Amino acid sequence: MIRLQNVHKNYGGCPALININLHIAPGEFVFLVGPSGAGKSTLMRLLYREEVPTSGIVFVGGMNLNRLRGHQVPHLRRRLGIIFQDYKLLPSQTAFANVAYILRALGVDEREITRRVTSALCVVNLENKSDAYPDELSGGEQQRVGIARAIVNGPPVLLADEPTGNLDPATSLEIVQLLARINERGTTILISTHDQLIVNATRKRVVSLRQGEITSDIDGGLYEVESVSAQSNEG
Amino acid sequence: MRQLRIIKAIITETWLGFRQSGWSNWLVISILAIALTVFGGVLQVTTSLQNLVSSWGSQLEISAYLKDGYDAQVIASEIKQLPAVESVEIISKDVAWEEMQKSLHVASVTNPLPNTLHIKVLSTSKVEDIASRIKLLGSVENVRFPLQVARRLNHFRQFLEVAGFALTAALTIATLTVIGNTIHLVIQARQREIEILSLMGVSPFYIKSPLILQGASYGAISGLLAILVLLIVHIYLNPFLSEQLLGFAPLISKSMEISLLQTFSALMLLGIAVGASGSWWTSGRYIKV
Repeated sequence: MIRLQNVHKNYGGCPALININLHIAPGEFVFLVGPSGAGKSTLMRLLYREEVPTSGIVFVGGMNLNRLRGHQVPHLRRRLGIIFQDYKLLPSQTAFANVAYILRALGVDEREITRRVTSALCVVNLENKSDAYPDELSGGEQQRVGIARAIVNGPPVLLADEPTGNLDPATSLEIVQLLARINERGTTILISTHDQLIVNATRKRVVSLRQGEITSDIDGGLYEVESVSAQSNEG
Repeated sequence: MRQLRIIKAIITETWLGFRQSGWSNWLVISILAIALTVFGGVLQVTTSLQNLVSSWGSQLEISAYLKDGYDAQVIASEIKQLPAVESVEIISKDVAWEEMQKSLHVASVTNPLPNTLHIKVLSTSKVEDIASRIKLLGSVENVRFPLQVARRLNHFRQFLEVAGFALTAALTIATLTVIGNTIHLVIQARQREIEILSLMGVSPFYIKSPLILQGASYGAISGLLAILVLLIVHIYLNPFLSEQLLGFAPLISKSMEISLLQTFSALMLLGIAVGASGSWWTSGRYIKV
């Protein structure tokens, strides 16, 4: 589903990613971990074509992103669900309208929008707060609206960039459990995080980045903030 | 149906853009309306003058007004001998007076008109030479020829065109700047929304269209305002022309009416083009999707 081959990314001669080789199969749940500045967000941005690699090849859903032309980028992004640390909700719109926005822009029929948005809000347990504005919701609820928006178009891949960065531990665990439930329905999930709690509580595949390089890739791994787990990848 | 729904959503976004712009909307519309009114006025006057000149009769003709007591036949034969004169037609003062009374309902007074000769010349380059030679004849009171008037009108028209179009160009540049700033403000206000839409996979067409439509709407509204102003001027000017210019009035007002529709169409098209292109350029510059 996702494949990076010998990917390098430099910013003005300064390396952000060094020789990244990574393969994520359909339906996998993967944590991308590492300290701030390790290159997690850069790698995520390569996957939704917000950035292009300096060298190497990036494949997402069978699409070679190096060959993707500007006008094809929206097509790629419609096949991805993206979740952000700061939720990126429109403050002037209700939870329902935030989730429905993308569908309206795509010209989806109003009845179909209602059906899909209601269903997405049910998945994230927010069906009772569909009329609430973002500032009337807690951080965890806002992130759940963000997740509902990411899944409303039924994407095969969800990319979550530090989705629990602004949340307390209990809410963070709820969010990850929610993403794990979505993963059980077949959606491939890649989460970049430096939240030790959610990684270690979930025991999924853990890819560690440090100073732009992959230092370990472990199925059912743990994340230790100071020293990355030395377990080898048995998968 | 899907396209219709997208168009509906784009129109809704455009309306939101108008609401976000507030007073800037009126700033853009008034400056653009002034620019279009100046442009339309210049276009209207110059087109009318051009139509007037071309419908004024042949520029190969000279009218010679004779002094009383001279035989028109004799003078006509004399003029016909001049080189480059094709023909000479005599309009007797009685016939001219009768026609004037018919067309203008002039009161019954003594005929003030002179006998007139209409001289047709073979080439426009000879008109002025022949006219000055005829004027030297002792029997001729005065000489007029459309070419002379046409030249003066054309000089005036050319001046008007250059000055008017320069002013229009300056105002258009000012308008483009104001439109650019207004759309830039809308983009800044919607920056977060635009970023989210882009990351969600919404096409640049959907993101930029409301802004371009907003600019085009400025142009259309400004065009309508300029048309309204010109229409009011036309309605008030027409009776004035009829009153002041007597015989020429039908000619002028007729040519004005012909060019009015062309001017209005040009104003609408120019307004929409300026508005849309200003927004298109600004959205292309500030929205990277």
